[in-house]
Amino acid sequence: MLTAISWQDIVQCIINGLCMGGTYILIGLGLTLILSIMSILQFAHGEVYMLGAFTVYFLCVLNGVPLYLAVFISMLTTAGIGLILERVLLRPLKGVFMSYVCATMGLSLILQTAVVLAFYKGTKQLPSLWPGSFEVGGMFFSKERIVAIIIALFLSLALYLFLKRTKYGLAMTASAENREGSLMQGINPNVMSALAVAIGSGLAAVGGALGGSIFNLDPYMGGLAFMKGITLIVIGGLGSLMGTVAAGLVLGICESVFALFFGSQMGIIIPLVIVIAFLIFRPKGLFGHD
Amino acid sequence: MLLEVNNLWVSYGGAEVLRGISCEVEEGTIVTLLGSNGAGKTTTLRAISGLKAPDSGEVWFEGKRIDGNPPQNIIKQGIGHVLEGRALFPYMTVLENLIVGGFLQKDREHVAKNLKDIFNHFPILKERQQQPARTLSGGEQQMLTIARALMGNPKLLLLDEPSLGLSPMMVREIGKIVQEIHQRGVSVLLVEQNARLALGLAKQCYVLETGKIALCGATKDLLNSDEVRKAYLGL
Repeated sequence: MLTAISWQDIVQCIINGLCMGGTYILIGLGLTLILSIMSILQFAHGEVYMLGAFTVYFLCVLNGVPLYLAVFISMLTTAGIGLILERVLLRPLKGVFMSYVCATMGLSLILQTAVVLAFYKGTKQLPSLWPGSFEVGGMFFSKERIVAIIIALFLSLALYLFLKRTKYGLAMTASAENREGSLMQGINPNVMSALAVAIGSGLAAVGGALGGSIFNLDPYMGGLAFMKGITLIVIGGLGSLMGTVAAGLVLGICESVFALFFGSQMGIIIPLVIVIAFLIFRPKGLFGHD
Repeated sequence: MLLEVNNLWVSYGGAEVLRGISCEVEEGTIVTLLGSNGAGKTTTLRAISGLKAPDSGEVWFEGKRIDGNPPQNIIKQGIGHVLEGRALFPYMTVLENLIVGGFLQKDREHVAKNLKDIFNHFPILKERQQQPARTLSGGEQQMLTIARALMGNPKLLLLDEPSLGLSPMMVREIGKIVQEIHQRGVSVLLVEQNARLALGLAKQCYVLETGKIALCGATKDLLNSDEVRKAYLGL
């Protein structure tokens, strides 16, 4: 079982873990935003992630749009789909919790089927973000994974700056912290919800594109992604964006390291065990405060 | 008349909380709404600012009917509401809370100007501006929530029990703040259980009892009647 593991393996393992973590973060951030501001779990968020990936597939593989441009366009169009989703599906159902659950679960099935019909089943691939690897001091670093990590961290930082430094960002933070208090400052809750879903969806789309490029691309990839997103919320703490980022990186590395040392099954089980432990011993998560 | 409330009925679930109350606030005055717990004072303010839609009745502000509108639109008309329990943004800093208070202001300059003004009037908020709101003392939090509402330049300020949970010294501070606000031309509808504080400030007084207006009149008239003072005001 424990064959000789070199430093190279460990380094690659950590990079791989950070990269997976990055995709988890991009889906978790959106889920956290939507949950904090709208108090709902968007059960189709994994499919939004998947949709983002397939949009890139459609643009780039089927229509020759350069990869990075396709990712950028996908981010915008998926954000737009998020806006439509909020307006058409979520806003009319305001106030009745179970309606959201049913509606978004239904939507996730619809999206999966739609993509299967459009593109047929079977695993596909997006082109690499940056083929090849760096060599530093005798160790090889996968270029595409490094790019993915940078993109994920960059977008996390961008979101942070938006929430801290812009008027609407502060308004969103305020809405999440005290809803009535925010209403009394003249903040429109519908605009806040629309922004949350749009931004969350845009981020998920990029996450999907990264995941689809580095790992795999299939219509059912959303389910697993959604699970990871939920895991981040529990470990990182409800309502905490920093928590989501930290949890994502930690989770990615844990999965990768456990998979390296104990096989891929453990890589999947251990994080779930951690989630259960958190739910029992520290339901607030690492940084949570809701 | 700046604010007119006509025959307002409000219920939560099946339970009636307000049963046809009417009151008004003249521009440039402080009016107080007194009553014990459960009388319906907070509900009245919530019905005015739109957090609770009334079952029937009307609310008029500056000659326009506002009841039934979403809260953010009512606030836009020039009403500020300092909520019961303060409703601060606990993990945001004092400064951030104030900036959000200026959300409706047209541009950054306005916000900056208001901020400077607020910091002049509340030097302790300036001192603590980088602290998360939840780390402030009760009195400081009350100051912050009032200051936040003032960032919106309201014409009418709805104040819900600002003295609650504060020391006598802080209560006097709050009284001074309300007077200063009034001097700057803001009209105030003050909801209070502390009759002494409220009557020291208000020109006009309403007493609410289980959802109905039991008493209303000019403060000095009410204070002059022994029975009224004892029966309704507890003084």
